[in-house]
Amino acid sequence: MKTRFAPRPESNTAFRQWNGPLTKEIVQRPSEFGLGQLPQRTQPDATTDSVCGYCGTGCSLKVHLKDSEAINLSANQSYPVNMGMACPKGWEALAPLSAPDRATTPLLRNEAGEMEPISWEKAMETLVSRFKGIKEQHGGEALSWLSTGQIPSEEMAFLGSLCKFGIGMVHGDGNTRQCMATAVTAYKQSFGFDSPPYTYQDFEESDVLVFIGSNACIAHPIMWQRVMRNRRNPDIYVIDPRRTETAMAATHHLQLKPKADLTLLYGLARLLIEKDYIDHDYVAAHTEGFEDFRAFLLNGPYGLAEVSAESGIEESALIELAQKIGSGKRLSFWWTMGVNQSYEGTRVAQAMINICLMTGNIGKPGTGANSITGQCNAMGSRLFSNSTNLLGGHKFTSAEDRAKIAGILKIDESDIPQKDSLAFDQILEGVEEGRIKGLWIIATNTAHSWINQNRWNRLREKLDFLVVQDMYHNTVTAQAADLVLPAAGWGEKEGTFINSERRIGRIRKVRRAPGQALADFHIFQLIAHYWGCGEKFARWTSPEAVFKIFTEVTQGQPCDISGIKDYKMLEENGGIQWPLPAGTETFEKQRRLFADGKYFHPNGRAKFLFDAPQALPESTDEEFPFVLLTGRGSSSQWHTQTRTSKSDVLRKLYPAKAYIEMNPEDAQRLGIKQDDQVVVRSRRGAITIAAHLTPITQVGAIFAPMHYREVNQLTMSSFDPHSREPSYKHCAVQIRKA
Amino acid sequence: MISNFQSADTDETPIDRLLREQAQLQTPVTDFSRRFDEGEFEGPFRELIPLENPKEGEQFAFEVDLDRCTGCKACVAGCHSLNGLEEHETWRDVGLIQGVRDEKAYQQTITTACHHCVDPGCLNGCPVDAYEKDPKTGIVLHLDDQCIGCQYCVLKCPYDVPKYSKRLGIVRKCDMCYNRLSVGEAPACVQSCPTEAIRITTVKKTDKEGAAAIASAPAFLPAAPHQSYTKPTTAYVSTRSVPQDAVAGDATALRPQHAHWPLVIMLALTQISVGLAAAAAIWTTRQPALLVASSVFAMIGLAASVLHLGQPLKAWRAFLGVTHSWLSREIVTFGGYAPLLFGLTAAQFISLPFEIPAFALWATVAVGFAGVFTSVMIYADTQRPFWKFAFSGSRFFGTSLIALGAGGCVFGSCPMSFIALTLGLVLKAMVDITGMIELCNPEFGPGKHSALIQLECEREVFISRWLFTLVGIAMLWFGAQSAFALGGALLILGGEITERYLFFRAVAAPKMPGGIAS
Repeated sequence: MKTRFAPRPESNTAFRQWNGPLTKEIVQRPSEFGLGQLPQRTQPDATTDSVCGYCGTGCSLKVHLKDSEAINLSANQSYPVNMGMACPKGWEALAPLSAPDRATTPLLRNEAGEMEPISWEKAMETLVSRFKGIKEQHGGEALSWLSTGQIPSEEMAFLGSLCKFGIGMVHGDGNTRQCMATAVTAYKQSFGFDSPPYTYQDFEESDVLVFIGSNACIAHPIMWQRVMRNRRNPDIYVIDPRRTETAMAATHHLQLKPKADLTLLYGLARLLIEKDYIDHDYVAAHTEGFEDFRAFLLNGPYGLAEVSAESGIEESALIELAQKIGSGKRLSFWWTMGVNQSYEGTRVAQAMINICLMTGNIGKPGTGANSITGQCNAMGSRLFSNSTNLLGGHKFTSAEDRAKIAGILKIDESDIPQKDSLAFDQILEGVEEGRIKGLWIIATNTAHSWINQNRWNRLREKLDFLVVQDMYHNTVTAQAADLVLPAAGWGEKEGTFINSERRIGRIRKVRRAPGQALADFHIFQLIAHYWGCGEKFARWTSPEAVFKIFTEVTQGQPCDISGIKDYKMLEENGGIQWPLPAGTETFEKQRRLFADGKYFHPNGRAKFLFDAPQALPESTDEEFPFVLLTGRGSSSQWHTQTRTSKSDVLRKLYPAKAYIEMNPEDAQRLGIKQDDQVVVRSRRGAITIAAHLTPITQVGAIFAPMHYREVNQLTMSSFDPHSREPSYKHCAVQIRKA
Repeated sequence: MISNFQSADTDETPIDRLLREQAQLQTPVTDFSRRFDEGEFEGPFRELIPLENPKEGEQFAFEVDLDRCTGCKACVAGCHSLNGLEEHETWRDVGLIQGVRDEKAYQQTITTACHHCVDPGCLNGCPVDAYEKDPKTGIVLHLDDQCIGCQYCVLKCPYDVPKYSKRLGIVRKCDMCYNRLSVGEAPACVQSCPTEAIRITTVKKTDKEGAAAIASAPAFLPAAPHQSYTKPTTAYVSTRSVPQDAVAGDATALRPQHAHWPLVIMLALTQISVGLAAAAAIWTTRQPALLVASSVFAMIGLAASVLHLGQPLKAWRAFLGVTHSWLSREIVTFGGYAPLLFGLTAAQFISLPFEIPAFALWATVAVGFAGVFTSVMIYADTQRPFWKFAFSGSRFFGTSLIALGAGGCVFGSCPMSFIALTLGLVLKAMVDITGMIELCNPEFGPGKHSALIQLECEREVFISRWLFTLVGIAMLWFGAQSAFALGGALLILGGEITERYLFFRAVAAPKMPGGIAS
């Protein structure tokens, strides 16, 4: 080891103790596996790689093992996604596994209403008899499941197949409905398949990056790393009603009025048409519907002055952006929940897609209308959860697709439902109306995250039987359950995730699950066995065996991965982006779609889709004069905090209690001082919460991080009509000093 | 295979089998040691650490590029994991400053660790020389096995850097990953920053001293404690202007501090002991009783002080820092006071072949007051306004005066006791009144912070403190030399201990800007 200067002295003198047991606790020594210097105590004897289980970035973490068990981790330097970096959640990914409130045994609500530990056998018998009872009395449509974007694709597929092909359910959905459904629908309608076109390299190769409704700096910090690696001196636009961390880091912030995004994008599109910054050849060769879109824009209220007044963005800023796009620079749009979680999010996403199509900014380096995914395996859910789509992006309503899947799975075609599932909100409506009696919730905390929480709270009474399968026995959802099934978490099981850029990566079992907790995969195996449909899942012996099924069912689909042999191949290549059809000889690590201009509609063309902006579901008025925006609080918080709240380090990095951000001007008017308690009331509920005064949030709007449960008492049940995604980002509230 | 569950050779049920499978960690050995088995590790961070070692008059320093720091906080977690810290221990912290720039909202995440000061407060205060400013690199190193866990460095550091570990009984802190740097590796925070916002630079110490010399110059970062005290070396750089009036995310959050009960007891009782010893010297007729009382208080007080230490067995080292540390001086001084006092007390009850001259007790009292003075200086030296010399001095010597007066009243009433009592009372009342005047200050400064902690977080304690003392003094006043007086003295004792509790709780502890408070 080459030294630059002498390491710390080690020999003690009479009065100075340089060395000893306390020093040894942390003093570093060279370690193996390319990890550099590490304290003696945490020196691994082996390492392995596993994709992180939080967000859709899909970073690879290098797990440090001692005696085969994870003792620590660091960021994987050789993975093309994160290049040796991780956000705090990734660094702390092991901490939530050791939490004392892990569910370690099945729990059943007894007659006194208390949760009582029971054996797996009793749990299985109870689940099967209760669900079978409901099915016999009310039919398969009276049972439903709500799942997640947080478990591996193999488990999602098992769950969806078990429910639909084994148990005989029709309706099931995932919490991905709460985050990605809008992007999915927008892509499906525009491109003919749910197909985010980009690869992360595009962050580095773009000239004009436009972020809409995305606070990437804290929500996807490792993607922002790629933006910072861009050496093309890019213009970075952030379009957001708040002056977020990302807005601060951008070169331009267009601080628009809440929900003026669709109008703004239409205004921009019209400007591009008026100035003829259009790639006519591309439009003619690869798209359809442009003329209609053009007429819609030119005949509608999307002139510069109107749009400027509507959105609060200066005309000059729009002209500048249009000119940059028109000058032939590489344009890329990036959006997240600010767009997805909107009552008209699908059309907003498509407004970005439209601009990319008409300027030919798609399929080339540094371009694209790019949806940044929320959860680690939202895309796995989209392709393989067998809820909205039949396995592998197929349709339940297509006889051909049903036959194909039945053939591969060796099940009867009649086992496959012929109709589509209800969406999340419709399932809950079914519960509310007494049509759905039995509900099984897996790895999601609906009682916290679902919109208009007080309505959810009343649903519990309507259910005959609620099963919650989770790592923790005390999530608010689990506390309402009749039966809790203890699940192993990320790090305690095997499988694959698919990230934002369509990259399939592997997760590893590196810890022993506590007590009797079982991998969700194992739980599904057990239920199949006890339900008596085990023989239908004879092939489903392990996650890797299920992955093999994926390679078969995707054959011929846009997401064809028949060229991926096994998990080992995934690891050797630093994850593999779909598609990879069989027979592919060599492939690049960074691949984007549509380089050939061929889209997935039967005619090979992408569609221009649009609608006039709709009225707000709930505008502000005299009684409720403030707009409530919700969203990510910090990089160290994840969703409903069931995991991130278990790490001491992460807890240090976010405020312990709920708060709202409020503009000091509004606060002064209402006599509210810094850190005062305020009552925020909407038509659906009222909460008392601390006020943090900051000009980051514009006058007339307040912001509340979604990680604190009470916030969803205020939000309103309104949904995008195309994607059925809840509109979390806008409702009317009033505020007064508590 | 599911269908195999029941046909397995053993009696194992499907549940048993899945539980057994769940417990197996099957990560094959061949998978791990693929890539980095050979070669030394330098990582992609070469340009983020200096190529050369510091020269004479130079040292290493952190530099944070505010334009690149976008709030991901990975540095905190990366430092925590790569340095093998305790679950709750972090050597790097992040905060937030907010304000207005160019008429637009401004917010900036602030990452901060040890500033490896040119004139480190921690090092200067350490009674056992457990800190070393490395001559080659200027890095402020902590000697974990030298530390006695007195936590004085925690009070001395204006940036809240040293972190006490209860499990280990010592303080630990950032050493800029000295060992990593020594072999050309980047520190953990530098390695873990996705946007390369943290780097190590070489700085001239004289530049930092120069920047610190001008008290009117702006702080090295808005909302951070000024550099004049310890001359921190970290630089926060930005190509854009940073609004000087930006405030910390937790600017107005009330942060009551650790009560340090052993220190509460130690301070109050040693000061009372000195007061009673003085009373014994004045009222020679009551000397035996007063000396016994003084000794008992000193004994309990000094015993309590040992309980404060995380590593009491190493406390013998405390004289090492006597040239620079007021804590070391206090330990040495009270270390002299106690045997003198106990000897004189014992002499009251043992017949000696010689007579102890009267000045011996006066000398002991003088040593005791010197001890109280060192106690005052310990806190005054932290530069915290609530503990400034006038305040701490009035409180601590006031306690001795009150003890002197109370001792006089209990054991031998005389006007002088009342004068001492009144004087002590007035001193203390003045401190609290001056402190509470800060409430009228429109700015949220440390003075107002302390006043608000006492009135909002510790209201009952604050009221009790004055009730105890005033009722106690009234009882002494009207019931001198009776059991009533003893009750009064006990109430006063309660009042003084309560005051000392508030002394620790209500101090406004300086620190780097924090995040949104809640």
